[in-house]
Amino acid sequence: MSDLAQGAAVTHHDEHESTGIESRKLGMWVFLSSEFLFFGALISNYLLYSHRGGFEGVYPAAIYDIPFTSVSSFVLLMSSLTMVLAHNALSRSDQNGARTWLFATAALGSVFLGGQVFEFTEFIVQHDMTLSTNPAASAFYLLTGFHGTHVAIGVIMLLSLWGISRRQGGLSDRQGLNLELVGLYWHFVDIIWIVIFTVVYLLSVAPA
Amino acid sequence: MSTAHPTPGQYWKIAAFLAFVTAVEVAMYYIDRELGLGVLNAAVLLSLSAVKFLVVIGWFMHVRFERPIISRFFAAGFILAGSLYLVVLSALGVVAIRGG
Repeated sequence: MSDLAQGAAVTHHDEHESTGIESRKLGMWVFLSSEFLFFGALISNYLLYSHRGGFEGVYPAAIYDIPFTSVSSFVLLMSSLTMVLAHNALSRSDQNGARTWLFATAALGSVFLGGQVFEFTEFIVQHDMTLSTNPAASAFYLLTGFHGTHVAIGVIMLLSLWGISRRQGGLSDRQGLNLELVGLYWHFVDIIWIVIFTVVYLLSVAPA
Repeated sequence: MSTAHPTPGQYWKIAAFLAFVTAVEVAMYYIDRELGLGVLNAAVLLSLSAVKFLVVIGWFMHVRFERPIISRFFAAGFILAGSLYLVVLSALGVVAIRGG
C-alpha cells in the first residue's frame, strides 16, 4: 500500500468522534477559541496604557505609519485567500495547485513578518521607542510581537507541509487534514490582525 | 459539512470584498482626521472590522458549512473573552479610542 493510500486508510480509523467531527479538528477549534483569552488580555493591556499620560518617551499611536500598516494588513488578508485556495485545490485532488497556494501563503506571511521587523526597527532606531520606553510601548510590542510570533509559527507549519508535499509528490488524506488545521490556525491569525489593525492602529490616540 | 463550499472564483470575490472594506477603513481614518467624526468614526470602523471578522470566519474558516458545535465552541471563547475584558476595561474607565 502506498503512503498516500495508507494515510487515507488510517484516517477512517482514528479521526472520528461521537460528535461526527475529527477529534484533532475539534481540538484545534477549542485551542483557537482559548486563544481569544490571550489576545483579549494583550489588547486590553494596550488599551489600558495607550492613552495614559505622564510617562516619558514617545507613544506608539504618535508614530504609526498607517499607509505602511495598511499594506501589511492587505498582504495578510490576501494570505487568507491563498490559504483557502490551497485547501480548495487539495479537496479537488489538485496536488500541484495546493502546493503552489501553500507556498504563496507562506511567502505572503513572510512579507508580513518582514514588514513587522521593518516597523519595529523604525520605531526603535528612528523614534527611540523601545520595549522599556513606557507602558504603552511595552504593551504595543508585547501585543504585536505575540501576534508576529503566531504568524512565524504559521509560516513554519506552512513550509513544512509544502516540503512534505514536494518530497512525497502530494499530501495524503491525513496530511490533508493537517493542511485544514494549519488553515484554521492561519485564518485565526488573520482575524486577530483584523481586530488589532482597527483597535490598535486606526482608533487609538496618543495622550495630548 | 452541510452545504457545498464556495468555488475558487467565489473565494476571489470574497477576498476582493475584504480588500474593499479595508480600503474603506483606511479612508475613514483619514476622513476622521480631517473632519473629526468622533464616535461616528469609531462606530463605523468597529462595524467594518466586525464584518471582515465574520466574513473570514464564515467563509474562509468554513464555519457556515460546518456542524453547529464548532461555531458554538468558537463563539463561546469569543464571547467569554470579549465580555471579560469589556467589563475589566469599563471598570477601569478605558475609553482610549478615537472619538471615545
